[in-house]
Amino acid sequence: MKSVVSLLFIAALLGLLLYVVAYMPPMGDPENPTNSSDVTTRYLEKAEEETHTVNAITGIILNYRGYDTMGEVSVIFCALAAVLAVLGREKRGKIYAYADRSRVPSSVIVRTMVAFLVPFIILFSIYTILHGELSPGGGFQGGAIIGASMIIFTTIFGLYESSERIPQKLRFPLEGSAFITFFVVGVLGLVGGGNFLTYAWPNIATDLQPAVVLWLTILVEIGIGVGGAMVLISILFSMIREEEEIAVAP
Amino acid sequence: MGAYRHFPIFMITLPILGAVLLPFLGYLRQKWVPWAAALPLTASTVLGILLIGKIPSDGYLSYHMGNWEPPWGIEVRVDYMGLFLMLIVCGITLLAMVFSRRYIAKEVSGGRLTAYYVLFLLMSGAMLGFVATGDIFNLFVFMEILALSSYALVAITGNRNAVRAAFKYLLMGAPSSIMVLLAIGFLYSATGSLNMADLAGRISESGYTEVLIVSYILFVIGFGVKAALFPLHMWLPDAHSIAPSPISALLSGLLVEVSAFAIIRITLSVFTSGADNLIGGTLDAVGIFAAAAVLYGGIMAIMQKDLKMMIAYSTVSHIGYIFLGITALTAEGLTGAMYHMLDHGLAKACLFLCAGSFIYVKGYRRIDDLKGAWRQMPWTCFAFALASLSVIGIPPTAGFISKWYLILGNIEAGNYLYVVILLAGSILAAVYCFRIIYCMFFQTGKEGAWEDSAHDASISMLSPVWVLSAGTLFFGVFSYLLIPSLLKAAQYLL
Amino acid sequence: MRLLHNYQYVAAMLLFCIGLYTIIVRRNIIKKLIGLNIMETAVFFFYISLGYLDGGIAPIRVGGADPSRMVNPIPQALILTGIVVAVSVTALALALVILLYRQYGTLDVDRLFRDEEKEPESGTERGGTA
Repeated sequence: MKSVVSLLFIAALLGLLLYVVAYMPPMGDPENPTNSSDVTTRYLEKAEEETHTVNAITGIILNYRGYDTMGEVSVIFCALAAVLAVLGREKRGKIYAYADRSRVPSSVIVRTMVAFLVPFIILFSIYTILHGELSPGGGFQGGAIIGASMIIFTTIFGLYESSERIPQKLRFPLEGSAFITFFVVGVLGLVGGGNFLTYAWPNIATDLQPAVVLWLTILVEIGIGVGGAMVLISILFSMIREEEEIAVAP
Repeated sequence: MGAYRHFPIFMITLPILGAVLLPFLGYLRQKWVPWAAALPLTASTVLGILLIGKIPSDGYLSYHMGNWEPPWGIEVRVDYMGLFLMLIVCGITLLAMVFSRRYIAKEVSGGRLTAYYVLFLLMSGAMLGFVATGDIFNLFVFMEILALSSYALVAITGNRNAVRAAFKYLLMGAPSSIMVLLAIGFLYSATGSLNMADLAGRISESGYTEVLIVSYILFVIGFGVKAALFPLHMWLPDAHSIAPSPISALLSGLLVEVSAFAIIRITLSVFTSGADNLIGGTLDAVGIFAAAAVLYGGIMAIMQKDLKMMIAYSTVSHIGYIFLGITALTAEGLTGAMYHMLDHGLAKACLFLCAGSFIYVKGYRRIDDLKGAWRQMPWTCFAFALASLSVIGIPPTAGFISKWYLILGNIEAGNYLYVVILLAGSILAAVYCFRIIYCMFFQTGKEGAWEDSAHDASISMLSPVWVLSAGTLFFGVFSYLLIPSLLKAAQYLL
Repeated sequence: MRLLHNYQYVAAMLLFCIGLYTIIVRRNIIKKLIGLNIMETAVFFFYISLGYLDGGIAPIRVGGADPSRMVNPIPQALILTGIVVAVSVTALALALVILLYRQYGTLDVDRLFRDEEKEPESGTERGGTA
């Protein structure tokens, strides 16, 4: 019964949405409100000279709409706080000495390959973070790749091994680093004579501005990358400890 | 324009910065965490108070983040209504935090305690950012911070029922956020801009009316779930009654209202009241649901046996009031809705904190258990009674003023049926409030139920309760301070 | 007809409705969360298709790329933020699921909410048993 009612409701919603799609501006049309709007054209034309990033998208998320990215960083930190409030952090120390192999049975091939690949994945993620302004990539993307590599590593080798490599005393100070970086850059923008989160400081000479913008952008990217990675790893460890504790049979 | 134009952004970012730095303090000296957590909120409140008078009631403060003009950059826009709501948020969150210090120490401990304050500060900062933004995607981002922190705060005690209620809340809240995102997508596809003021211009000249109508409907549904508008309110009774009491106070008193404010923003600042062909039909439907909410909330509240459930259903009813003020689309109606946010925030927060006091001191949740409570906890009971008067709308409390304007607004708009329903809502409120007052004051409890040596709640818990309760009276008697400016601000928005 | 031309939007709306249907109808809460993810992905897909330009190139200014032929970068920037938000919600939802499974021993939503009619008993907020 509930299924039928839900199906009717979803069908009605689908009908409504398809009705809208039929009246939407045609996809890909250069005369679209979105493609022809002056916002878009300015971003595409001026992004390189104003934000000194070749990738217009990075220019938008870090510079023009940096406030949104600050909000996004707060969201990810909030997720960490929420998961820790609900699950708690993993315990450290001896308890995992027994569970030094994960419960996932894995062959020698898998273990060797994972151990071999993980450093390269982390290298790739550092590349992604630093190349955000030159090619598709950016701070959070790199952080997520580090997180993903740690997920693979933890699944195959167990929580004990992973948390040896990225211990809590490394993660704990760095989790908030994304937001703190943004706040510091924001206040520096105020000091430099503009509004909050201004990269191109009006107070300094014009030929110094490109360098300042570039370095601030890189700083923010690294902050987001590291912060995002640490948050994701902490969330991972706190969720996975469930299984590990069950695995520890006294 | 002096230094104070930087105040709004600091009002928003200081609580979030505090939240990020708090774990460090929690690691070093856990005892200082509650005190340190109050610092950013106090700073925001002070900044907000300093901003009073700088923003004329028919003007706004526009701040361009990163020195980019809108629509290329994000604009932080604080108008009179916005500052009004931001001050309400600052005040009530600060009072709830003071209350939390003793209360939460009994419910959670250790790392979770720090996490509680972190999430609390994040929620406060997000609410301020939500109200102060002039960019529609930014609205979505702050809504998500708000939503995430509230899901976690409902579940923070770790109790079975709490986790279940939090999950139900998430299961209804997350799809609603996605719907808002989809609505923003439709809006963007038809106009090409994300800045609210810019959108207002583009919407009126855009030809894609069907897209805009559906976009508005999705906005209303999405924010309607967050604001617990009937029939999208199903998550509210469980979540608000099972959450820790200071959190219930914030959820009921602020979160639902701020979501209703988002609908006000979208209706008036983005779509503008002139776009009747786009929003008219939906607003009529919202009015019908709001009227149903008033009655449904009232009737369900009368039927409850648990104190916090009753207060939660009362919230459902009062959100109906706020929406009835919005749909009237008149200055009086809008003023009534905004003033109702003030008095409902104060009164509902006070009611929940009183309920929290009862639970903290005696552990009683059921209304039956509160018989004869005044003998042991007179201060709490009197505050509860005073706040209930505001909920019912008896002069000279603030509740009366807001209902007066809501009724005026609906008379002016010709919605006489809604006027009747507003009055019926007051009668229902009288029933469920007087039932408790009668119970607390005039009935006698079980033998020895209220005799033990524990006295009324401690000062740190009583003072927020009394400040809130006195506030409902104060803003009722002295409403002439605010109402004229609110009326002008409402005119400006319309 | 435009519906055929905007086929990517149609696909996004279909996915959206499939996701919403999954959330409402399926009893297993993990499946509900997958439905939530499908909804989110559908919206991201919709946004990115919005920015498409016929014959467009990536909005990266290297090697003399012509700005007037570039795809719209704004939806992509918005979606980067949106993806992070979706990940956060999923993370919290999964944490709650872990707790729910630990406390109730079931992932079936009907069994989880079956005894919801009982009101919380007297006691602290914990309602009796912690």
